Amino acid sequence: MKLLVPVKRVIDANVKARVKADGSGVELANVKMAINPFDEIAVEEAIRLKEAGKAEEIVVVSIGPAQAAETLRTALAMGADRAILVKVDELVEPLGVAKVLKGVVEVERPRLVILGKQAIDDDSNQTGQMLAGLLGWAQGTFASKVEVAADRARVTREVDGGLQTVDLKLPAIITVDLRLNQPRYASLPNIMKAKKKPLDEKVPADFGADVKAKLKVIKTEEPSSRKTGVKVGSVAELVDKLKNEAGVL
Amino acid sequence: MNFDLSEEQRLLKDSVERLMLDSYSFGDRRKYQTEKRGFSEAMWARYAELGLLALPFAEEHGGFGGGAVETMIVMEAFGKALILEPYFATVVLAGGLLRLGASEAQKAELIPLIAEGRTKLAFAYAEPQSRYDLVDVETRAKRDGDGWILNGSKDLVLHGDAADKIIVSARTAGDTRENDGVGLFLVDADAPGLTRRGYPTQDGLRAADITLERVRVETANVIGDPAGAFPVISRVADEAVAALCAEAVGSFTQMQAITLDYLKTREQFGKKIGSFQVLQHRAVDMFVDLEQSRSMAIYAAIMAVESDASERERAVSAAKVQIGRSAKAIGQQSIQLHGGIGMTMEHSVGHYFKHVTMLDTLFGDAEHHLRRLAALGGLSGDQRME
Amino acid sequence: MDLAFTKEERAFREEVRQFLRDNVLPEIRRKLAEGRKLAKDEIAAGARILNKRGVPTWPKEYGGAGWTLVQQYIFEEEVRAFPAQLTFGMGESLVGPVIYTFGSEVQKKYYLPRIANAEDWWCQGFSEPGAGSDLASLKTRAVRNGDRYVVDGQKIWTSGAQYADWIFCLVRTDPDVKKQQGISFLLIDLKTPGVTVRPIRLIDGDHVVNEVFFDSVRVPIENLVGEENKGWGYAKYLLGNERFGDAGVGISKERIRLAKELAERACVRGARLIDQTAFREKVAAVEVQLKALEITQLRVVASASKQQKGTQDPASSILKLRGSEVEQASAELLMDAAGPYALRDLSQEEREGRNEPPVGAYGAARSAPTYFYSRAASIYSGSSEIQKNIIAKAILGL
Ligand SMILES: Cc1cc2nc3c(=O)[nH]c(=O)nc-3n(C[C@H](O)[C@H](O)[C@H](O)COP(=O)(O)OP(=O)(O)OC[C@H]3O[C@@H](n4cnc5c(N)ncnc54)[C@H](O)[C@@H]3O)c2cc1C
Repeated sequence: MKLLVPVKRVIDANVKARVKADGSGVELANVKMAINPFDEIAVEEAIRLKEAGKAEEIVVVSIGPAQAAETLRTALAMGADRAILVKVDELVEPLGVAKVLKGVVEVERPRLVILGKQAIDDDSNQTGQMLAGLLGWAQGTFASKVEVAADRARVTREVDGGLQTVDLKLPAIITVDLRLNQPRYASLPNIMKAKKKPLDEKVPADFGADVKAKLKVIKTEEPSSRKTGVKVGSVAELVDKLKNEAGVL
Repeated sequence: MNFDLSEEQRLLKDSVERLMLDSYSFGDRRKYQTEKRGFSEAMWARYAELGLLALPFAEEHGGFGGGAVETMIVMEAFGKALILEPYFATVVLAGGLLRLGASEAQKAELIPLIAEGRTKLAFAYAEPQSRYDLVDVETRAKRDGDGWILNGSKDLVLHGDAADKIIVSARTAGDTRENDGVGLFLVDADAPGLTRRGYPTQDGLRAADITLERVRVETANVIGDPAGAFPVISRVADEAVAALCAEAVGSFTQMQAITLDYLKTREQFGKKIGSFQVLQHRAVDMFVDLEQSRSMAIYAAIMAVESDASERERAVSAAKVQIGRSAKAIGQQSIQLHGGIGMTMEHSVGHYFKHVTMLDTLFGDAEHHLRRLAALGGLSGDQRME
Repeated sequence: MDLAFTKEERAFREEVRQFLRDNVLPEIRRKLAEGRKLAKDEIAAGARILNKRGVPTWPKEYGGAGWTLVQQYIFEEEVRAFPAQLTFGMGESLVGPVIYTFGSEVQKKYYLPRIANAEDWWCQGFSEPGAGSDLASLKTRAVRNGDRYVVDGQKIWTSGAQYADWIFCLVRTDPDVKKQQGISFLLIDLKTPGVTVRPIRLIDGDHVVNEVFFDSVRVPIENLVGEENKGWGYAKYLLGNERFGDAGVGISKERIRLAKELAERACVRGARLIDQTAFREKVAAVEVQLKALEITQLRVVASASKQQKGTQDPASSILKLRGSEVEQASAELLMDAAGPYALRDLSQEEREGRNEPPVGAYGAARSAPTYFYSRAASIYSGSSEIQKNIIAKAILGL
């Protein structure tokens, strides 16, 4: 079975994002970038399926600028087998991404596409669902547990107030949630191996996909700056503050 | 010119930094410190799993052929987290001696043990009288049939109390402080006649003083030429200094970040203390020291593998001078800007201060290296400079 | 102008020396010479001996020796050189003068002899978690209730609270006025119910400072010093004594002596470290700073008797500031001299009283803790930044 895992290059989760001076978006110059944490979980899940003998090949794909190759190398160093970079310099909206992915799916013919449930930069939470729609495939979103048998996948989903289990007929789409697994660190042996793994470069046109933006960003704002906290030295001080400053006691 | 990391180096950096971020908070460190040996065996296993313990060794011995830049990356991440494990002692010091001095048979036997995290090593070089002088060796090794007998005392053996095997420098010939006549001997930590007294170091790591009384070493456990090991020792020491510089830069980075954060949160007189201009300038001074140190750590890493001894030594000494001075400047300033809280065991910043102070005293403090550099003619005395 | 002491002053010095030889217990002298710490009762016994002729720094009428500043200076020098332990802490140096200057007759009669006699130990409850440099923003509340104040709040960095019997505190008695105007100076018995003392360990491994918590602590109103809401003025008087008094010349001298001693034993390539030009130059440079400080202190001492009451020689303002820097520089010399041998932390063995033979050069293991602790000198009793702010404003008129 072949698995396809799309990964996105996003601002590192440990970096404090700043809005560009003109409000057109988030400042990315000189900012540490990383693989989207949810996508990392997706890669990990794919590797585990392969290690368990449920899959033979893991293909990772990223749609983004040339530097997204770094993100793909990270996935390869974790244990993916092959990478495809679909080069686009502009920001691509979820629908555009889904269209490119549909093209990739038609060429690669995976049985399962595992995606992060959302990217931490735009928080859209749409790509997986749109891809399922475009392909007409079954989908199991927000997975906290994935079991794969010959032509079926059983996905436990995190829903409000509990868990729901769905049974999907393959081929299918799975989007993963935070608690699915703890992704591994790329080890040196795997980093060395990643060097030799193939990374193909493509453009959206290769897949006949239109990635033109349909939305216009009017403005980007930082969250209204929360009053910085203070470290209290003791319980007594905390109680005092709650009483006299916050007035909640 | 290129200061960019290669793809593999970037991935290595990402992995180590993430491991530290996930598993080496200040609270984690405190926990690890209370473990039996004063560090975390579980973390040691993680380093093995990631391949870090095999990093600098050649591929034919199961290593990854990492160079000084790879070591710099790892040590910087370790310095940021203030790790307690004997990586420096085992991989950089003892590993360096094996890499540069051991026979094929010795490497084939020992390197896999190190790489898999099964064996920890230490290097016993210092003696009660030797101070920073690596050639000042009074411990004696005498021929005894097909082996050697060691007698003497070794001081300040980093992680000597956790080591399974100890590489001891001992004199087979010549007078104290003669370059010729120093050998390296691999001794089991529980060898008859070897006693150790372990203690914590001022920065919360571990070290030991070791006494050798008629300790027997088989010829197979002599590393390199029993009378000509000093060139290997001094090369390893230079690599070690480069590694310590990188570790210090990691600690500096963290101290600068913690202090900056404190300036932005602590309020006195109804304002953030970071709004006082005098403190702003101090923060800038710290930043300058940090960046100068970073540059010199890179310089040291690149030059540490230089085969021309004089060029290598000058560069490494220059870096250690910068690092030692910045350890004082950044260390003292970061405490000062924290006020009372910076002086407490509770807060991490004081632990960084103590650690970088100790890094200054390892393998020669700033004064020692300034003297060495001056004695070598300084940095600009290089005739080969274009 | 003459640097030499007068005939009378020299005679006084001789007398002090003789007094110390006759009175100080040999084992205390030995302990101090070895750099060891004294136990509480040893300090108290020692203080009683040193105070035999009255508290050196106090006027005669309150049980002091009534000495001039020059005599006090000579006394201190001799005590340090001997060595005997110096003053009996914050009772003598800080709260005593506040009590005899601003306190009631009853307070003077009760507290001063007990301090002089080393019966009561005092600690200073000024700083709070939110009120360090900005001391006047302190929040510990004292609410008048009949013949008592009820005190609630927290103090931090309280040196010696673990040994102390009493704490002198700044407390807020009026929250509705300008912050300096609602503060009072209160004496609190640490045995009063509701007081909790918790230790804070410092980076040198020692337990010096504490947190002190007050939970509905009932304090008799007789324990108020001077007038209610006038405490800030008394505190300024006290801080003036604290900050402008001691330049730490003795401490620095002792550190330099120790560094030299270590350097005599340390060898570098077979030669003694002390014989190295670079090291000697470094020591000499610190000695120059120390001498400048010492002469400045002598100038201040000599001019004090001529100053109008309530004014101070402007040079006095630099003593604490510069003194802490020289203390720190001399601690760095210790590190230089100890070199790699500073690495060992034997404090745990020391604390546990383990009796293994000392390792390494004598005193080297104390170098790092001394260096670490020396960093506090530019933080406590007004950080160097705050000192400079005050000097810029009050003396330079900026
Ligand atoms: C070892 C030790 C013993 C002590 N003993 C006692 C004691 O017995 N009793 C007691 O009451 N207190 C004691 N203190 C407390 C000491 O007085 C305070 O630590 C000191 O006043 C600084 O306050 P802080 O720690 O809150 O630092 P902060 O006031 O928060 O200062 C943090 C930094 O900001 C700087 N800063 C603050 N305001 C300004 C400004 N306006 N301009 C420029 N820079 C500024 C400071 O200089 C410092 O560098 C002790 C402290 C120590 C370390």
